[in-house]
Amino acid sequence: MKKPVIEFKDFSFRYKSQNEFTLHDINLTIYSGEKVLILGPSGSGKSTLGNCVNGLIPFSYDGEIKGSCKVSGIEVREANIFTISNHVGTVLQDSDAQFVGLSVGEDIAFSLENDAVPRPEMLEKVDAAAKIVDMDGFLEAIPYSLSGGQKQKVSLAGIMHNKDVETLLFDEPLAALDPAMGMSAIDLIDQIHKNHEKTILIIEHRLEDVLYRHVDRVILVNEGRILLDLTPDALLRSDTLRQNGIREPLYLSALKNAGVHFDEDEHLDSLEELDFAKYRDAVTAAFQNSALSAPKPKGEKIIEVSHVSYRYGKERLALDDVSFEICRGEKISVIGKNGAGKSTAAKLICGIIRPQEGTVRLNGQDYTALSIREIGRMVGYVMQNPNQMLVKDMIRDEVSLALTLNDFEPSAIEERCEKVLRMCGLYSMRNWPVGVLSYGQKKRVTIASILVLQPDVIILDEPTAGQDYRRYTEIMQFIDTLNREYNITIVFITHDMHLAIEYTDRSIVFADGRCIADDAVFRVLSNEDVISRANLKQTSLVTLAERCGIDPEHYIHYFIDCERGK
Amino acid sequence: MDQRLFINLSPGNTYLDRLTGKTKVRLFFAFVVLLIATWDMRIILPTLLVTLAGLYSLKAKLKSVRIIAVVVVLSNLLNLFLIWVIDPDYGASVCGGSTLLFQITPHYIITGQTMWYFLVRFCKLMATFFAAMTFIQCVTPSELAAGLYAMKVPYKVCMIVSIAFRYIPDILRDFTNIKISMQARGMELDAKRTGLWQRLKQNVMILVPLVVTSFDRVGNIANAMDLRGFGKNKTRTYYAEHEDGRGDGQMKFFYLALYLFIAVVIVLRIVKPGEFLVWYPF
Repeated sequence: MKKPVIEFKDFSFRYKSQNEFTLHDINLTIYSGEKVLILGPSGSGKSTLGNCVNGLIPFSYDGEIKGSCKVSGIEVREANIFTISNHVGTVLQDSDAQFVGLSVGEDIAFSLENDAVPRPEMLEKVDAAAKIVDMDGFLEAIPYSLSGGQKQKVSLAGIMHNKDVETLLFDEPLAALDPAMGMSAIDLIDQIHKNHEKTILIIEHRLEDVLYRHVDRVILVNEGRILLDLTPDALLRSDTLRQNGIREPLYLSALKNAGVHFDEDEHLDSLEELDFAKYRDAVTAAFQNSALSAPKPKGEKIIEVSHVSYRYGKERLALDDVSFEICRGEKISVIGKNGAGKSTAAKLICGIIRPQEGTVRLNGQDYTALSIREIGRMVGYVMQNPNQMLVKDMIRDEVSLALTLNDFEPSAIEERCEKVLRMCGLYSMRNWPVGVLSYGQKKRVTIASILVLQPDVIILDEPTAGQDYRRYTEIMQFIDTLNREYNITIVFITHDMHLAIEYTDRSIVFADGRCIADDAVFRVLSNEDVISRANLKQTSLVTLAERCGIDPEHYIHYFIDCERGK
Repeated sequence: MDQRLFINLSPGNTYLDRLTGKTKVRLFFAFVVLLIATWDMRIILPTLLVTLAGLYSLKAKLKSVRIIAVVVVLSNLLNLFLIWVIDPDYGASVCGGSTLLFQITPHYIITGQTMWYFLVRFCKLMATFFAAMTFIQCVTPSELAAGLYAMKVPYKVCMIVSIAFRYIPDILRDFTNIKISMQARGMELDAKRTGLWQRLKQNVMILVPLVVTSFDRVGNIANAMDLRGFGKNKTRTYYAEHEDGRGDGQMKFFYLALYLFIAVVIVLRIVKPGEFLVWYPF
């Protein structure tokens, strides 16, 4: 008989500050030793569900609770957070904010310190926990020198030394990681599940990435209700993913595009276990019937970076003999792991740092003599977090700010501002306060506030970070429209491979300060060497193509054509 | 990137570095109290030498101190000069008497007592400065928190100290990023091209998004701390506070003697108050 660890019974929750309930009639039982994925788009209530399990509700977020939620037999509304955190360990999404210690060892020890554990015992436990996550060589490292993946491992170690913790809760563990790190995070969670007999709850919306390792059960949450509670295989068979804002695994989309029908006894959740002999003919036939698209003709060169090197202080070269060009009307993804040089390249183009060797030309002119402000009128830069760009109360003021700062005539400001507001679909909201907007709308406002200067190129830093599939699509389609209808050149700095595949034509890949690839997206993503050096991950399309005996490069090209044709 | 100011994050290897946070805090505290309590050059001069020796023993990190030292010396000299401008015979009120050394105008005179007072004052400030620099250079924020906790400061207050140090670099980085993006949108922060008032106004504009993003972060940090049991118990232990070493034993002896000495100095001042603030040897 399996022992229940988490039991929701007719559970509803309303945040104190809100009128509507965020969770409705939740009935859910999770048993000891299970590995469960809680899936849902942003705002579906999945994080709220997690916060009920780890005790942040009602400890930090006050509100109205109906029904019952028991964690390891403790009724949540009557217990305090410290009792519950003895049974549930949580790894939060923001790996930087939860790293409160000033060294790895100290952060792992944080809960031991709070328990007033004597130091000799603490040291032993910290060492043991660091070994589990393979961070034992870094105990003295400071947080600023660690990658997101390493910080996450440290947070995990920080709950692993407590033997009483039965349940590990991961809130969006993939949000801040590049594809390769995300893969190893999922691997690590899987190992811990197998070796340490813990119950695992993963809250995520990146289905394909989580399914990289076996999951017992998927709970699909949307609009505060549990819609489905079934095995991953059954979920993939049902057609509910897209309508709930979840991206289907790429290989499934590809197989469905090819018109494949699946038999009852097949396991759709694991690419390895699928029997490709059955689909080969259908996939090959679909592939051969379609002609691959020809490359788009290139416009004139806007940005030419040639043989640029740059280093910060005395550190190693951040850019090492880098050359690339950007032409009008292109959609480009700049890919690479953290510290590979992609942000430095963006700073270089914007003139925030200047080449120590080599040259940068904007519209054919060497930009040495231009100030950041002057360059800003040719190259617009949109930061990742819109909250870091919004300074005004009203949308219209925010959008016109750049014009005011550049001393435009009031009539010109009026005219340009109106045009951009219409382009961005913000005209009807022009007098709204910025504070009431959703994340996606704020993103639009920041893009509008850059577009208003009519730059030749806009650079977007991780435009979809932390967004679910629906919002991701909304933001990306908007940007795509700007490119298609107004011929605005777009450069994405990203480590999201889906974004590169779906919305860009060319990829420039950085590793260790060097530009290691500059080619069509399908060619870059089928190059194994580039993938491993840039911390990317092989897409399931490559595996699928290889199993069906098709050249992966051509297959990805074909898949992109199909997706765009829709 | 170099956004850590001169805060020391990992302990070094010198004698002072290897002391526990508790010893470091107590030593520093003793020196500061001593320097506040006395105007006697017979005490100040040895203290100056000891603190200078302490700073020198950490020599690997001296470079970052040099610029600040120059600023401190210059501002001190300016300060003394201004005192002299306002009251050239200031020494008379603190040392008693005025021995004329030199006369510029009937009002602007230079007396032995004033010069002596200035010398004492300067040494006192420099000794405090060296003590502070030595302390900042050898203590890590975590040791500081542990040391304060050992001095019976509530641990929630100690945590504020170490958390502040933890996130200052992050906030500075945010600030730089926001500033750059505003510059690209046309904000002119170059001192040559915009007036002070305009620049000030623009800097305030940068603070808006900085405050908003920092508040988001504070919420996350608070949750992370709650989830790991911060505030559960009345007492706490510190990972960064290692066991006492040989140096700690020696220094304990030293600072206990120092506290005793301070007590004697203060008691003497109360029981047998001299006529004047500053001891004058001539």
